[in-house]
Amino acid sequence: MTLSKKEISILIEIVFSILFALIFMPFFYENKENNLLLINDLVGTVIGIIIFVVIYFSVAYSLLELFFKTKIIEDERGDMINSKSYKLGYLLYELFLFIFIGTLLTNSTLQNKGEIIFLILSLLLLVSIIKSIYQFYLYRTF
Amino acid sequence: MVLKNNLKELRQEKNYTQEELGINVGVSRQTIISIERYRYNPSLELAMKIANNLNVKIEKLFYFS
Repeated sequence: MTLSKKEISILIEIVFSILFALIFMPFFYENKENNLLLINDLVGTVIGIIIFVVIYFSVAYSLLELFFKTKIIEDERGDMINSKSYKLGYLLYELFLFIFIGTLLTNSTLQNKGEIIFLILSLLLLVSIIKSIYQFYLYRTF
Repeated sequence: MVLKNNLKELRQEKNYTQEELGINVGVSRQTIISIERYRYNPSLELAMKIANNLNVKIEKLFYFS
């Protein structure tokens, strides 16, 4: 199975989302009972996330450019695939927004900010992963 | 009715690779592959660019089946 440069760049995004979930989400899960200001080492974790993002994407895209010299050609098929996948992402964001607001209104125990942050990050990650997988699927099959 | 095409045959007649034809008309190799496999129907603009590039009439390139 040969992958195009564009398909590999989508895989890089999917892997990033999975790594982010595995590395940083346990921290937010452990602190979901705490208030935002009382979360242990929040600043350290945020700095860690920033460093991780910069290093990950720098290394990943440098390697991609090293192995694939040609530029990614954005054409009408790519535009169509992107619009389909972003439309799905947008619909999921809307759906999860309703779920989030509904959870906030109905769940009286969901009052500390740590839990809200955990819920928002989880939903964002989930939408991002689903959108990228669908985009990858369309690039492979269309 | 399904829109089909003779792109693969006409491209090979002109000795173009998928990549060369893609570069000539400003699309990726994957897009040419998708058109040849009837997975993707190009816009009228792209269809005419391909026909011009292969020096054939558009109705010879694309047809309904």
